[in-house]
Amino acid sequence: MNHIFAILLSFLLLTPSVRAQEDAYSYMDTDEHPGETLEINPQEREEVLNPPSNLEANLEDNDPLEPINRVTFGVNSFLDDILFDPISAMYVGVVPEFLRERVGYFLRNLSEPIVLVNNILQGEMQDAEDTLRRFAINSTVGLGGIFDVSTDLDIPYKREDFGLTLASWGFEEGPYIVLPILGPSNLRDTIGRVGDYGFDSINWWAYFTDDNAIYSYTRTGAQVLDAKSDNIETINDLKTNSIDPYVTFRAWYTERRRSLSSKNEGRVIETAQPEDDDEEDFEDDEY
Amino acid sequence: MMNIKKGSFMKNAIFTLFSFLTWVHIAHAETNCDAAKTFMSDMGENVISLLTNQSISDQERADQFRTILETQFNLKAIGKFVLGRYWKQASDEEKQSFLNLFKETTVATYASRFKDYTSEKFEIRGCQVEPDGGVIVSSQITRPNGQAIPINWKIFEKKGEMRVYDVILEGISMGITQRSEFASVIQNGGGKLSALNKALEKKIS
Repeated sequence: MNHIFAILLSFLLLTPSVRAQEDAYSYMDTDEHPGETLEINPQEREEVLNPPSNLEANLEDNDPLEPINRVTFGVNSFLDDILFDPISAMYVGVVPEFLRERVGYFLRNLSEPIVLVNNILQGEMQDAEDTLRRFAINSTVGLGGIFDVSTDLDIPYKREDFGLTLASWGFEEGPYIVLPILGPSNLRDTIGRVGDYGFDSINWWAYFTDDNAIYSYTRTGAQVLDAKSDNIETINDLKTNSIDPYVTFRAWYTERRRSLSSKNEGRVIETAQPEDDDEEDFEDDEY
Repeated sequence: MMNIKKGSFMKNAIFTLFSFLTWVHIAHAETNCDAAKTFMSDMGENVISLLTNQSISDQERADQFRTILETQFNLKAIGKFVLGRYWKQASDEEKQSFLNLFKETTVATYASRFKDYTSEKFEIRGCQVEPDGGVIVSSQITRPNGQAIPINWKIFEKKGEMRVYDVILEGISMGITQRSEFASVIQNGGGKLSALNKALEKKIS
């Protein structure tokens, strides 16, 4: 029961920050009566009083916790270096690719019921049917999920989680948060993780049968290992090629989550555009 | 009676005109789409053969990759986009040196990123005309272990020439993430483009 209150409380916390952000955006759009917004909320007053050069970037990034986040990010990187990376490297070195793939599919199949719950919560009944069929086929023909037969039958895996469900219900991302060990997130997705934990039948099973808690822990460990060994190349690549890895991770996480959200399906990504003065002959241009 | 007839004639005429315009628009869009697909598949084959060619040195690979960037991407428009409002505030020399550093860091990053690619397959999946007049060509790179990486390319045609304006990797726009990163580096460096230039310089050396 306490958990439910905690979730509700987090919702309440999330809503005002969403409002403030929307107001700030509309202020950015109209740009006409900045004086009027001064009485409306303290966050904006602060933004207006602050050097204006920071306004745009602050709104874009929504990272008021940056100092704390950077510390957590540093600790996570350190843990990666001394603990997770060596273990992943060992796992990749010792266990052949074929077996690692089986482990990955097996774990993903176990989490398929969470996807199903979120499909239903989002009202996506076609997706729910697909997920159900995937789970049924892979758990049987796919030998308990170690083979992804469904993808070959043209029912590919489609990720859903409670963070994305909240997004489909209209909740904004909220401030960016770096979670200890788990890494990049934001307020909405953090709440989403709590929700998904609650939807997970294995956690309930472990909760009610004390002896089985060990399976739950084993699976969590395996999940971490699977995720880390899968992405180790990409993550190290990102870290070495970036000027400021903290910002790069934040940008990648935010964009990735936006692209996964069904609310943004068919969105037009803002990109560079051809302009009259962008030819190669740069020297000729006047500014 | 006459009025009604006249009205319906006008309606028909307008309808016909609109259908014609729509048809012209669609027909135009389709040629655009096909041309963009051809453009991308040619370039993709070029890049893959370049990256998987083990007989050339790293230096040569980087040089050829640079040529592809210069001729097939609109680097100036991309550079301008990733700087956002800082573009306008910078001096001409700063801009010029930024564009150069931007190109060189891109070459360095990708030449090393794809160094160990050997038997990758590049495949065009489809294309779509966007409301802003650009075309998104979707493709995927299949790695030897069977993992497929979806990559979308934003292409505009200008003066009869096609150029890439953004690369979208698994739904993540490289332009937007880079803009975010650069903005933060510039801000931490006191709002000056020179701070970013210095950081980029350090990265290449």
